[in-house]
Amino acid sequence: MSLEVVLQSIFSAAFIATVIRVATPLILPAMGGLLSDLGGVINIALEGIMLAAAFTGVIVSGFAPQWFPGAPAWSYPWLGALAGVLVGMAMGWLIAFFHLELKTDIILTGLAMNILASGATVFLMFSFTGDKGSTSTLASARLPSLQIPFVNNVPVLGTLLNGENGTGYNIMSYLAFALVAVIWIFLYRTPAGAHLRATGEMPDAAQSVGIDIRRVRYQALVASGFCAALGGLYLSMGYLSIFQANMTAGRGFIALAVIFLGNRNPIGALIAALIFGTASALGTRLGTMAIPPQFVEMIPPAVTIAALIIYNIRRRARINAAARRFQEQTAP
Amino acid sequence: MRRHWTIGFTLMMVIALIAAACAAPTAPAPAAPAPAAGEGAAAGEQPLRIVHFVNGVLGDKSFFDSAQRGVQRVADEFGAQTKTIEAGIDPTGWEAALIDAAANEEFDIMIVGTFQMVEYLERLAPQYPDKKFFLYDAPVNYEGEACAPNKCANVYSILYKQNEGSYLAGVYAAAMTTQDIEGMNPEAIIGSVGGQEIPVILDFMVGYEQGARDTNPDIQVIRQFAGGWNDPAKGKELAKAQYSQGADIVFQIAGGTGQGVFEAAAEDGRYAIGVDSDQALIIESANPEQAARILTSMMKNVDNSIYRGVKLHLEGTLPYGTAEALGIAEGGVGLARNKYYEAITPDEVKALVDEAERKILNGEIVVDTAFR
Repeated sequence: MSLEVVLQSIFSAAFIATVIRVATPLILPAMGGLLSDLGGVINIALEGIMLAAAFTGVIVSGFAPQWFPGAPAWSYPWLGALAGVLVGMAMGWLIAFFHLELKTDIILTGLAMNILASGATVFLMFSFTGDKGSTSTLASARLPSLQIPFVNNVPVLGTLLNGENGTGYNIMSYLAFALVAVIWIFLYRTPAGAHLRATGEMPDAAQSVGIDIRRVRYQALVASGFCAALGGLYLSMGYLSIFQANMTAGRGFIALAVIFLGNRNPIGALIAALIFGTASALGTRLGTMAIPPQFVEMIPPAVTIAALIIYNIRRRARINAAARRFQEQTAP
Repeated sequence: MRRHWTIGFTLMMVIALIAAACAAPTAPAPAAPAPAAGEGAAAGEQPLRIVHFVNGVLGDKSFFDSAQRGVQRVADEFGAQTKTIEAGIDPTGWEAALIDAAANEEFDIMIVGTFQMVEYLERLAPQYPDKKFFLYDAPVNYEGEACAPNKCANVYSILYKQNEGSYLAGVYAAAMTTQDIEGMNPEAIIGSVGGQEIPVILDFMVGYEQGARDTNPDIQVIRQFAGGWNDPAKGKELAKAQYSQGADIVFQIAGGTGQGVFEAAAEDGRYAIGVDSDQALIIESANPEQAARILTSMMKNVDNSIYRGVKLHLEGTLPYGTAEALGIAEGGVGLARNKYYEAITPDEVKALVDEAERKILNGEIVVDTAFR
């Protein structure tokens, strides 16, 4: 591919659409991970929860005509999504139960959940469909895309607001951005959000003022299961229309990285997910030129690490500057 | 407190064990035991016993499923007793599972596939000189150190000339991309998505690109790798990137990742070429709109090759101790000329593909290879 064509495809409205598609399955689980992490219970089972929800959504929506004969056809994807979300929340609750009641290590519990999800989904897929690779022979439903009316005739705006085919973004992409705003308001503008942050920051102090830290942590982990489940459902019922063994391909772990890259703040995590999405989209487009694929595959992690370094350098400079000001002010 | 911790830990271990057992068991698939009428099951004679060892799981809709079809056909037609062992997706367990299978199963022929198993089989085969082994899609190194005890004289390796079949796919794609068909743009650009940059996949691409250039010297062929076989979302983005840069046909050579290519083709109203099995027919019942976007598939007929191997074994003419490369002539590879292909392909393009096939068969065209 010539450089000209590649650049054209990068500096286009369709590129933004790609970034949003790629970033959605990172933003959703990152929001979940953020809630539990701020509550002091890091949830490394995001990957497993995504996988389990992705699987449940496809199976329930695919078998809905048999299982719920009375239900109208439009309800199939929503039944699938509901089941997926319930499974995600149940897994979050299970982690909380193991960690808070049975005092297991939170990291080991998360790891076990990931292994469980990766094995159980394949096992159950075989039980339901007789197939261990993917559900491509099962006609499963897709969550709808939302099309913004009237803008498709406007050249750039149409692609920007409705994607390159003008069919609109998947409803989960809208939900991802909405969730960022909701979680920001929850964390910084509501008492419950302050309780959550206090629980994570200093549990003893939180408990001393009457916050039930056990309950807060239960809620945080169940909520993180909810958000991660949405990410998984997007993968198998929006982005694609199949479930495939281990199809999350590490996105749950990238979401964890995104939380810390975003300085454990919802807006920061959103920006970090978009940086990662941009780098991935850049990689797929640059990859059409005759450059070694290993180099192209390096782009997303390299950009992420570079962004981390720049962020830390700036943060340190800010802290040093503040310290200097403090010394100058307090100097006799 | 301490008791709680112990209970919790035990529970976690149990869950992990269950999960591991679900993920990578050596689950024997039911085979057809009843020896039906066939050459192998003459009166009083032991039926042929075959073990198919899959280093992965069945259900990939392409490669291993094709091999399993071959084994099934052998069971049906020759009355062989067959058993399939799936070793799971964790490569660290494969060698141990292979050794177990060889030690514990009663078999005359063990069928193993892929280049990942070469080393293990080279170590194993000389320990069982009176048993036979098939290795598909890779050769053992007959002159190598591991094979030294018996020069792997009991191993028959099957290679596929995927470069020949891909050449036809390239000819076809290059001819189709400039046709006046819904979804095709006038630009002479076609694409390909590989799973990883490994010799077998490069062999597909070399043939594909040569076929395309022989048909249209000005054509541009995009070559991209997903870096894995189980990430359909990545496959979809790669295909969409290629479509956005003017490609209208993308050849997927990426296993499960390639299912994303079909999704992209259906969504963008472009086309794809499948791989290994006739993929349009496999997904048409669940996804008719995707199946209609798969122009053809470059089939690697693992099933035929296994059937042929067992047949020659029974006739006593199978060249054990050597590697055979099966191309178009031997039915090892070929294009899927299914109803979608027939419906969409103009007659002059069909003629062009048939012509190219004839030239490969009579040696007029020699297709390059990525192997040496």
